[in-house]
Amino acid sequence: MVAIIHKRSWRDFDWILALLAIGIVLFGTIQIRNAQPTETYWVKQLIGLSIGLVAMLAIAFTDYRRLLNLAPAFYIFGLILLIIVLIPGIGLRINGQQAWIRVPGIGQFQPSEFVKVTTAMMLARYFGKNRVQPLTLKETIVGGLILALPIGLILLEPDVGSVLTYFPILAVVLFLSAIKMRLVIASVLIAVVMIPAAYWLGVRTGMVKGYQQERINVILDPENADRRRIGYHTWQSILTVGEGGLFGSRSSVEHSQSGLKFLPEPHTDFIYAVTAENSGFVGCVLVLLAYVILLSRLITGARRASDRMGMLVIMAVVGGLAFQIFINIGMALGISPVIGVPLPLMSAGLASLIATFIAIGFAISVQLRRFVN
Amino acid sequence: MKFEDTSQNLRARLRFVQAMVVLLLGVLSVRLYVLQVVRGERYAEIAENQRRRRLPIPAPRGLILDREGRVLVSSRPIYNVIMSREDVKVKDLISLIDPLAEGLSLDRDILRDYFELVKTMPAFESILVKQDATPGDIAWVEAHNLEYPELRVEQQPQRTYPPNGSLAHVLGYVGEISPEQLKQQASKDRGLKPGDIIGLSGIEQIYDDYLRGRDGYREVVVDSRGRIQDEIETVAPIPGRDLVTTIDLDIQNAAEEQLQNSVTRRGVIISMDPGNGEIFALASYPTFDPNLFSQRITTKGGRAEYRALLNDPETPLLNRAIQSRYPPGSTWKVPMAIGGLKQGAITLDHSNLVCGGGITIGNKFTRCMGNHGSPDIRTAISRSCDGYFYRLGLKMGIDGIVEMVDEFDLNKRTGIDLPNEVVSWTPSREFKRRMQPRDPEWRDIDTVYASFGQVYDIITPISLLRTIAAVSKNGRMYIPHLLKEVRPVGTEGTTEYRGPVTFQPLDQSRPNPKVIPIPEDINHAVVEGMWSVVNGGGTGARIQMAGFDIAGKTGTAQVVRLGKDVGKNKDHSWFVSYAPAYKPEVAMVALIENSGFGGHHAAPAVRAIYDVYYRKTRNEEPPGAVQQIAKKQKTTATPLAETQQQAVVNQ
Repeated sequence: MVAIIHKRSWRDFDWILALLAIGIVLFGTIQIRNAQPTETYWVKQLIGLSIGLVAMLAIAFTDYRRLLNLAPAFYIFGLILLIIVLIPGIGLRINGQQAWIRVPGIGQFQPSEFVKVTTAMMLARYFGKNRVQPLTLKETIVGGLILALPIGLILLEPDVGSVLTYFPILAVVLFLSAIKMRLVIASVLIAVVMIPAAYWLGVRTGMVKGYQQERINVILDPENADRRRIGYHTWQSILTVGEGGLFGSRSSVEHSQSGLKFLPEPHTDFIYAVTAENSGFVGCVLVLLAYVILLSRLITGARRASDRMGMLVIMAVVGGLAFQIFINIGMALGISPVIGVPLPLMSAGLASLIATFIAIGFAISVQLRRFVN
Repeated sequence: MKFEDTSQNLRARLRFVQAMVVLLLGVLSVRLYVLQVVRGERYAEIAENQRRRRLPIPAPRGLILDREGRVLVSSRPIYNVIMSREDVKVKDLISLIDPLAEGLSLDRDILRDYFELVKTMPAFESILVKQDATPGDIAWVEAHNLEYPELRVEQQPQRTYPPNGSLAHVLGYVGEISPEQLKQQASKDRGLKPGDIIGLSGIEQIYDDYLRGRDGYREVVVDSRGRIQDEIETVAPIPGRDLVTTIDLDIQNAAEEQLQNSVTRRGVIISMDPGNGEIFALASYPTFDPNLFSQRITTKGGRAEYRALLNDPETPLLNRAIQSRYPPGSTWKVPMAIGGLKQGAITLDHSNLVCGGGITIGNKFTRCMGNHGSPDIRTAISRSCDGYFYRLGLKMGIDGIVEMVDEFDLNKRTGIDLPNEVVSWTPSREFKRRMQPRDPEWRDIDTVYASFGQVYDIITPISLLRTIAAVSKNGRMYIPHLLKEVRPVGTEGTTEYRGPVTFQPLDQSRPNPKVIPIPEDINHAVVEGMWSVVNGGGTGARIQMAGFDIAGKTGTAQVVRLGKDVGKNKDHSWFVSYAPAYKPEVAMVALIENSGFGGHHAAPAVRAIYDVYYRKTRNEEPPGAVQQIAKKQKTTATPLAETQQQAVVNQ
């Protein structure tokens, strides 16, 4: 039995997906080293890669259905982690956010990244039953509650950026769980109309304060916004990206935007700007292409899944990753606000890296078992 | 898809998600194209600029020396605390006031004023926080490098001027270029930049381009907090050139001493070589300390000192030699005599005119201070007969006087190489129209006034000296100047070599010398008159030096009308002269404000300076020096005798 699985496993194993992910991480590691040549983040990233690969293989060769049956246990374990991080003395406070747990030997670990996977598992488990009817209100509420628990705990840290990345997970799961199309269209329309209207009203009534308006202005017109304070990150990132030009900047690493610390958080939030500075438009587009192929492979995997639960767990992951990629790169390019969201597979950070590999592990596991019944 | 049922159209929904993914990442790549390809070059330049910093290395300013190579102005290295503008946000500037005032013991109010000013001038890259920092200040800056990385210590040369305000009006002073000056096109042409120290007055201003040199710089790479990370290139400064003035420090000191010991301590003494216009001494009193501007102006005490100077009723900042106009009194008779003879109003053979104790024009009698009978031109000069010159003026007419004024350039600037020289006021029909619009017609009485150095004759001491110097040289009139030589730099023959620079008229079109065609016999007659003033029992007889004949003319310039000329409204005392009378080496003018009769105050002051000149050039005691001192003591001891004498001898 084991031998048969193995033989078939190696044939059906999604090599492209795994190698693409590894490739992005290695390329990212080079950029982390460029961003912080004097620090050891890049070494930690390689350690994270090894751990991630082990986790990915372990999950890929485990039946995802068995894992998803245990989803409530993982989900509760995740919530416990989110509670632990809030305990003073254990949780690490950085930039006013108590979002990290110190792990001896490898540094710190951000549970909210990891909990995304357990939340996605829980959602897949709940919505994964065979479906004959459109989505009911009760199901929607339960889905909302599954999301609300971890989000509530993360808001206590507080880490608004992380919270935002949870919503697309639920949105994709609901969308693929036969939510009525007219509800989708209605909510999109309401958002398109209401958000600018609310902003306009807020400015008029003074509910939206000056500095909040300034944050919006930074995105609308970064060159003329307050480049020294609120707009500093965005402006410096735009300069860094622009300096990359077509093939990458000519200035040395020591004289780069990150080397001289003009670009803040170069190895995490703004790793894409560093990439842009070093490898130019060509490198940047290749990275985008790599992400498109990676996400497409995942979606293909979801399409081939043998059951709804498998499809949902992959697509929940896709939703989370795609949103995070868009927000993070958009931040580097000055079209989305600066919120601390890591770029999956590229930003330095253990939890994000390992969680992404676990998610990919699920996708591979689903694919490996597409003919098994 | 095995679990699919038609009600969900799941396949379409998955394709929709995939399309969304491609769309979103497509948006990103369009944005990337805009940032990197379309605007890449511009952003690269901005990024480059924000990490490059050009730190100036100030060029040492050239020395200023006297004609014998004695140092008048030098520079000593001081340390300044500078704040890099790039690294301080505008709002933070104000929050820095307290810690800076505390740490560097500065005045909060001055700092606040300065920062407020700087805020409005984004061009200022470096902000001077503290000048002449003490070792303690430097230690503080270094100790707080992490907290305030925008602070740095720079070495800079600081100007040191002679003490007690000596030569202040000649040398001028330096200071930071003002925002107004920066806006001028001339400043841009000269490559001046914010924060530059430039000459703001005197020789420092006129010859700034030679003295200043060219600043060097260090081009460095800084990090986001302004800490220097790397050095790209260093360009060494080109030091300013040393400048030798025509000033003779011995004569200058003597002149200043005379003014300091004068009755009112207000006045001017200028000494000049009539043969080329080189100025040996130029003293204006009261004076000020130029070190105030180069050293203390950024301190609270310095500001107060400057305000006090500006508000001082005795106007110490004014260079009286070139910026004040005075009625020349009887000294005016010298150019009048030349003009009258040249124009043929009188002839040498028939130069006698009646004194008459004065003259009556219409119903107005203008008196002479004595009765001199019918003197010839020599006697009229030596006794300073007003009556004679009233009549000479009437013979010349206003047009004759204007012609004389024009020939002696009295209606122009002398062209001295100092800034802000004013033009004298001289008689003319237009002048009267301007002065008395109710009675614009020029009348004979006006001609009388214009003839004896009052009312319409209001001139600068330097222009009067130039006139007398021209008479001494038979009409060769040089432009007075202070530059002897800008010293050469480098070795001859190499490209860095810059040859010596000597004085050139600032106005290139002016001849130097201007030659006034004065027939020799006419000139001789006037010189004889001036010789007699001192050597022939004239109004300046008391300063006679045997064997070193001084030719001169006293003058007493009325400040208010007769009878009220006491106390602070006393007449100005003039003496203008040169020596030796028939082989001129040196010309001098002295004016003591509100001191009274010229022969009593200005002449002895001049004599004391001739003594110094004599000792220097002849290497022996000047003749009559001892009696001179005795006389001086006598006059100061008996002020009553002085007034009596004044009434008798007159001008």
